[in-house]
Amino acid sequence: MRRALITFLTLFVLWVIVAQSNHALAGSHVYLFLGGLMITYAALHLPLRDGVIAVLLAGLLSDATTPVPFGLHTLLFAGAFAIVANVRDHVPREETVARVIVALLANLALFLVFSFALIGRGPAPGQVWPRLIVDLLCSQVALALVAPWFFALQGRALVLARVERDPLT
Amino acid sequence: MPPKRFDQARPFLTLIVIVIAWLVVPVVVKTFTRASFIELQAPITVAASYARDLQEYWTLRLHSNSELIEAGRDLARLTATYEYSVQQNATLQAEVARLEELLKLPAYANYRPEYARVVRRDFSGWWQQLTIRKGRNYGIPVGAPVIFSGGVVGRVSEVRAYTAVVELISNPGVRLASVIEGETQPISFQGGINATFDAPRGVIEFVPLSVFASAAMPKRLVTSGLGGVFPPGLSLGTVTKVEPSADGLFKSGEVQLDPRLSTLTEVTVLVPLNPE
Repeated sequence: MRRALITFLTLFVLWVIVAQSNHALAGSHVYLFLGGLMITYAALHLPLRDGVIAVLLAGLLSDATTPVPFGLHTLLFAGAFAIVANVRDHVPREETVARVIVALLANLALFLVFSFALIGRGPAPGQVWPRLIVDLLCSQVALALVAPWFFALQGRALVLARVERDPLT
Repeated sequence: MPPKRFDQARPFLTLIVIVIAWLVVPVVVKTFTRASFIELQAPITVAASYARDLQEYWTLRLHSNSELIEAGRDLARLTATYEYSVQQNATLQAEVARLEELLKLPAYANYRPEYARVVRRDFSGWWQQLTIRKGRNYGIPVGAPVIFSGGVVGRVSEVRAYTAVVELISNPGVRLASVIEGETQPISFQGGINATFDAPRGVIEFVPLSVFASAAMPKRLVTSGLGGVFPPGLSLGTVTKVEPSADGLFKSGEVQLDPRLSTLTEVTVLVPLNPE
């Protein structure tokens, strides 16, 4: 349980950073979405129970602060988590590059599902896609830049909380 | 040790259990969970906004005395202009009240202005909203109009203990009754097109065929005051394009909204004094 809470705390830090970045980028009408990063480490490294708890808490946090049907983030994160957790034995998960690629793919899938779920509310759905594509590109670039640091943060946080061994010792 | 096939399916079985649990959990529990997570993150968001204010304060402290004197002089001139406007406004309000009394007209709704700092801006392609630093603690009601110097910002969509969420007029879900300035026929306005590095835009429908507007000859769109919370005459944006709609009975068009909508730092909530 402690492992799940520590992981959730790191996801909360990521959520705060992304929210503040989006606040600063609002003037340029660019929006970052890093949902893929929320689930990757938990799905690749944590035991199933701890990973699910951490991801569900992160989904609830995202749902609470956005004007979407409550549970949309939670269920999408849970779905993405299940898929990544299912294939994790086939992924070289100790390599940062592999983790980043998994995060990028998960983020792409979540972004597209999210867009199809929400795009129908506007007056001209077709005209929104150029904006969404720019947002997706920016999000993927930001994710690729942030992911190595964030995975290291999650790993170190678990070591500091003494729920995992330091790989250097 | 469980069979390998079952072990591989465990993540999906867990997902199915989560989905079923989500479907059967009572709404009360979901509402409580949502409120808990909102209040969990609220202090962080508000603290970040206070940190930004402090940063701005120290930036302003770096200005030289001569710059401050110059700014003070400009401010004094502006204050003198506004004092004159306030006097004129008082005279006009007295005249309106006298005519309302004389003609037995229903009085316009009165509002109390509540100024609030913006603590968070969300400008995605899916939604546009602001979080402000005042909520139930200042008596902000759901649905209250929110304005700034450029016109309408949006309306309060959610009120929390110390913060409130404002749905912007550029949000796809927002619909308002509006009129072209100087005309009387109501038009339907809806937000929703927000291109990157460009001003937000909205669309108008049910525009009378007699209305003409283009980028070279734009027309101002204002609130109509009909069937909603917004007082009449508040600026929504500029109509830059109208063309006949498919049915040929009306026109539809595009509205350019104020580009400052996405960089607001302070807004005014109009709190109704006699809510009905």
